[in-house]
This record gives sequence, C-alpha cells and structure tokens, in this order.
Amino acid sequence: MSGISLGGLVEGALNSLEIFDPVVAPYRGFHEKLPPKMQQTFTAFMFILPFGILYAIFTILPIFQTFYISLHKWEIMGTNIRYIGLRNFERLITRDTQFHQAFEQTILFVALTIPIIFVGLFFALMLNRPVRGIGIFRTIFYLPNIMAVTVIGLIWARVFASSGRGLINAFLENFNAGPIPFLDQGNLATLVVSFTTLWWTVGFSMLIFLAGLQDISQALYDAAKVDGANRWQQFRHITIPGLRRPFAFLCILQVIASFQIFGQVDVMTGGGPAGNTRTIVYNIFETSFLYFQVGYGTAMAVIMFAVLLVISLLQLALFRDQGVGN
Amino acid sequence: MAVVGAEQIRIRQLIELRRGTIYVLAVGIFALIWMLPVVWTVVTSFRPEAALQRNLASLIPYPFTIENWTFILKSSQLWKWLGNSVFVSTTHTLAQLTICSLAAYAFARLDFYFKRPLYLLVLIGLMVPFEATFLPVYLLFSNLKLHNTLIALILPGIASSFAVFLLTQFFRGIPMELEEAAMMDGAGRFRIFLIVIIPLSTPVITALAIFTFLGNWNSYLWPIISATSSEVYTIVIGLRKLNQAWGDVNFYGRDMAAAIFTAMPIIIFFFVFQRRIISGIAINSGIK
Repeated sequence: MSGISLGGLVEGALNSLEIFDPVVAPYRGFHEKLPPKMQQTFTAFMFILPFGILYAIFTILPIFQTFYISLHKWEIMGTNIRYIGLRNFERLITRDTQFHQAFEQTILFVALTIPIIFVGLFFALMLNRPVRGIGIFRTIFYLPNIMAVTVIGLIWARVFASSGRGLINAFLENFNAGPIPFLDQGNLATLVVSFTTLWWTVGFSMLIFLAGLQDISQALYDAAKVDGANRWQQFRHITIPGLRRPFAFLCILQVIASFQIFGQVDVMTGGGPAGNTRTIVYNIFETSFLYFQVGYGTAMAVIMFAVLLVISLLQLALFRDQGVGN
Repeated sequence: MAVVGAEQIRIRQLIELRRGTIYVLAVGIFALIWMLPVVWTVVTSFRPEAALQRNLASLIPYPFTIENWTFILKSSQLWKWLGNSVFVSTTHTLAQLTICSLAAYAFARLDFYFKRPLYLLVLIGLMVPFEATFLPVYLLFSNLKLHNTLIALILPGIASSFAVFLLTQFFRGIPMELEEAAMMDGAGRFRIFLIVIIPLSTPVITALAIFTFLGNWNSYLWPIISATSSEVYTIVIGLRKLNQAWGDVNFYGRDMAAAIFTAMPIIIFFFVFQRRIISGIAINSGIK
C-alpha cells in the first residue's frame, strides 16, 4: 500500500477546510483584532451561511411571495400578471362554492381521521405486553406507515374499486351481491379515503403511545394495586393521565396532517366523484396546474395557512391550560 | 404444604402460558386480517391476467406465473426511477445533515450578534407547511428552468428548520468540558465540530438521517408537479404514472408487481434500520 491512509486523508481534508475557521485561518490577524463577540459572530455566520442562503430562498422568501402573489391575477407561465388587491380573497370567501366545498370536505377529513389516534391507543394497549414475539406485530402494524402514498393508495383503490375490478366487489360477485360503489359515491369515497389513511398511519400513533406507556412508572401501578384499585381504575387514573403528553402531541400532528391531505385523494379518487373528495390542497393543485391560476391558488394557500396557524395556536393554548406540553 | 404450593405455582404458570398463547393467537389472526390486502397484492402479482379476469378475489396463486415479475424486473424504466430515488434521497439527506448541523452548532455553542432573532426566524419555519408556500418555489424553479431535473427534487427542504431545531437542542446537551479540552489542544471551531460534536451526536444524527431519507423518498406533492418528464421520475411518482397509463383493466397483475417493486426498497431499508427507526420516532417527535 502507498503511504496514503484513511486517517491521513481525513486529516488533510480537515486541514484544508480550516480555511473557514478563523482561529487558524489565513485572515487570523484581522480576526484577532476584533472584539470577542464580534469574532464569534464572524465564526457563527460562517457556520450558518450555507443553511441561511437556502433557508432564505426556499422558506422565508416564499412566505412573503405567497402573500404578494395572492394579491395578483397571476397565470402560471408568469404571463398576464395584474395587481387586483384583495379580490382573490373576496371571490374565495363570498362566491367560490367549489372552495367552500373543498374546505368543508377537509374539515370532514380532519374529523374522520381523529379516530386514528384512538385506534393507535388501542393497538398500543393491545401490544404493550412483555410477550416474546410481540415485536413482530408492532412491525406489522407500523410498516405501512413508511410506505409511499402511491403504494398504499394503489392497493386500497384496488381493494375498494367500484366495479368487479376491485377485491371486495369481485368477492361479493361470487355471491351475486353488490357491487358497492365505494369510490363512485361521495360519502363512501370519503370514508374509504379516511379508512385508507387510518390503515396507513395508525402505526405511528401506536408507537408514540407505546413509548408513552413505557414511560409510566411501574411503581404507580404497584402502589395502586396495594390500594386495591382494579384494572379499569388503574387505566383510568394512571394510564390515561400518563399518556396526556403523547395524546396532545398526536392531536396537533393529526389535525395538521389531515388538513393537508393530498396524496391519498390524488391517487385514489382524483378529487371525485363530482369533487366530493376534493380537499383544500387538491383544490390549490387543480387551480394552479390545471387552470393555471397561480394567483388564485396562492390565495387559497394563504387561507389554509392562516387556519392552520390558528388551529395550532389554539391547541397549544388548550393543552397548556391542562398542564401538558410544556 | 410446600408441595401443594409448588403445584399451585405450576398451575398458575400453565394458566398464564395458555393465556399468553391465546393472546398471541388472537393478535396474530387480527394482524393477518389487517394485512390481508397486502397478501392479496402479493398473490395477485403472481397470477396470470386471464385468471384475474375470471376471478380477482382469490388468495390462491394458481395458475401461477412469474410473467408479471419478469416484465417488471426487465423494465429499464423502473430501475431508472429507482436509481433516481436513491440518488435524490441520499443527496438530499447528506446535504441537509451537513448544512443543518453546521447551523445548529452555531446556535447551540456560539455567542453572537443577532442570535435570538435569527433563531426565531428558524423556528418560524416550523409553523409553515410546505403546502402553503410551494407555489412560489414552483415559480422560482420555472424561472430558473430547473424543473425536470434531479436538482429540483433535491433542493427544497434541504434547509430544514426542524433539523436545525432538533440538532441545536441536542448539541446544547453535550458537556462544554469536552469542547474546552479540544480547544486547549489548539483545535479550531470547525475541527471541534467535526471531531467532538458530530461523533457524540451519532444517535440523533442517524435518527434524523433515516427520517429525512424516508420523507424525501416518499414525498409526493413536489415531485409530481416538478418532475413531469419520465426521465426524472422518482420511483414513487413512476408507479403513479404507470398506474395511470396501464389503467386497472389490462395489466392488473403487472401493476401489483410494480407496487411491490416500489415498496421493496423501503421494506429492506426498514429491516436494516429497524431498531433505529423505532427508537428514532420518539427522538424525532421530541417526546424524549
């Protein structure tokens, strides 16, 4: 072997990179004349710079641009741009029945996906036993959670497909029953998408609750047993209060996630039937990329952002009042 | 008396054992029902199209065929998309960890002007969902003519508030003495960062890396608007496009095989990092 070793390479890389490090850098003389806090500011900005540039471009700037664009009639190719003040918002709030429908639909999805937390709790309680092999079940229930929405959506769209090309309806056909129009009927399609979301994400709630359950001290249960508390009383007075923190955390996360439902809808129903499963994000997507009205789509994004902000602040305040989450 | 006591304990143990068995059995049956659609998907991918036309609802792969799978595995498109996904997600993750850990070090350890307002600016990002600001980002990439490139799939989200926040919290917990000792030896800030801070943060960095990778791999909204040419699809988007192109009538089994092909890398990824994923969820959620 030649004299080049991995350690040597690392050392070399370190040395060459220390040009960025004011303590040893070529501009050391200049650097040392500065007051200490100024020196650290200099160093800190070096450390923050790469992040700062990208963060400014992809997060901070777009926040302002979102507000700016929402005040314009703005077509996607950057053509036909015209300042129209708050007219987009006026149209959205007072006249756009499609947006109203999408808003209501989103609220409905939020409501229908809240039970995921309780099912997750049920799974966690079910699997919170020191039995050998229990890990396999935890894996099974969690695994769908890290799958892509296209995989999950494809499988469940096939299970629930309305014609004989779906698993359930093909099964029913054998008994001359059905077909049930799972994805062709608005309310049913909403339920199907919600159920798919449950199947997909419940493992996450389960694992959070399992971690929460393990954090509850066994001594509390032992003490309760000594006091003659039965299983329900133990659950009611030890387990439930002990899980407050994960519960609050999951509520906030679930509401925010459900408010932004997009993938499941796009893959499974395409917003249909008759716009019955169209959510806010799907509506933004359609307005911007099907009808090319970015200005109008952005106005919807502003409203969604405002609602989300209010919801998360409300929830934080609510849970803080109950002494959780601080 | 002692014999009776031992006998009682034995009986109790037997009852416990039986309860345990019944319990595992019950959970097992439930898990099987829960996973039935997956089992059906796998079975369907091994059935010939003609059989699927006759009866879709079968869990018996007879007649059996691997024709769907040979088609999928021979498809250069799918392998290309898989390659795109691997490249995009790996680069995205490495870049995010690099720039975010650097920034986090400054916030955790240095005392500098504008520190508080700058950190506040980072925290603001935690409250802004990408879904609310993706249109200006889309327009930016349009202006730069960067759509339909892999760079467009890598860049957004690299500068993650969450990553900076998580790492800052963690770096703050590392004892100052270690750093001071290195400083005595003449190490600069950058060297300290690389040889003291980073090695001590492996658990949190691995957890972050895993979830950043998964998040980018599974992302849907951004790639579906940015990548419109099949050259740059990720596997997740590719599956969707195949699904749209093939419809569900003619290539049912093939489509199912494609779905499993798409899921497979992540399943392998899960089993490789299983322990770290399970423990990482708590870290990533800020519960612990």
